[in-house]
Amino acid sequence: MSSHYSEPARGLRKSSDIITIAAGATPEALYQRTASGQNPRTVILRKVMAYNAVNATTLDIGTGLAPFVNIIPTIRLVNNMDNERTEDEIPEMEVGADLTVQTDVLGVMVQVEVEEIGS
Amino acid sequence: MPELYPFKPGPIERIVLPDQIVGVWVNKLYKFYRVVYIEGIPHSDPLEMDFGALAAAATTGITQLALLEMPNYEFGQFRGFVIDDIAASLWQGRSDGRHVLMNRNGRLTRDTDRRDPCGHTTEFYVHEDDYAYMDVLNPTAYALTQTRVAFFGFRYVLEDALDKYGKKYKWNPGKPDHNEPPAWTRVPATSHL
Repeated sequence: MSSHYSEPARGLRKSSDIITIAAGATPEALYQRTASGQNPRTVILRKVMAYNAVNATTLDIGTGLAPFVNIIPTIRLVNNMDNERTEDEIPEMEVGADLTVQTDVLGVMVQVEVEEIGS
Repeated sequence: MPELYPFKPGPIERIVLPDQIVGVWVNKLYKFYRVVYIEGIPHSDPLEMDFGALAAAATTGITQLALLEMPNYEFGQFRGFVIDDIAASLWQGRSDGRHVLMNRNGRLTRDTDRRDPCGHTTEFYVHEDDYAYMDVLNPTAYALTQTRVAFFGFRYVLEDALDKYGKKYKWNPGKPDHNEPPAWTRVPATSHL
């Protein structure tokens, strides 16, 4: 899908590692923000890419491990399909925290692209 | 006559023309020179300083920018920007931080050249062996394999500036031997004020 995003970039584009979910229904680290400068940067989720060959499942992206808090609604992942969400399809949710992820089942592969805001 | 001066916003320009007089601020006084030659130093990979691999949240030691060393009777005018996601601090004199406020020093980050694309706020000057130094912070949560800062600008070849009697101009305000050129451009080559 082509992007119609016309607002100038506010920050730096970064990607998470490819995370393979280690345990079902258990939040784990997805993207650790840049926080060792004078001030920590904030993070906007821009793109999500997930691959699921284990079972139909849900994908939740949020912050925190205990408790885990969604920053966007749950995404349904169809079995044996790759799933992509580009920034046109993702609310511009800016958070001052690391991103975490959870799915119903283990073995789902997830990678996100974020925009980090701050100097 | 073009309007030329240090820290000029926009694409980098020479701060003087050949045959004009500069006063280079060194060791708390101005040394006066006549510019005899100017050469452009384009941004290119020989002008990139790579501080090497750096762990998450780590800072390098203060490292001389050996690539910006100037010979006698020359000074350089440089602007810089970082290539990797780092925060670079400039020092002139190992203990004199540049871009300095009362309580903070500005740094070069990936954000700097987005907000200041021409880099005029990063401009600095290196005169002879008054070396420039940098340290580099990795603010990210992951290790970096390269930590690069790039520079470009101009170099100025100098000769002693003499008055009409063949005597060197001398900065010594309030004293009888103070002998200041009628027109000259200030070059802030060190931060030690």
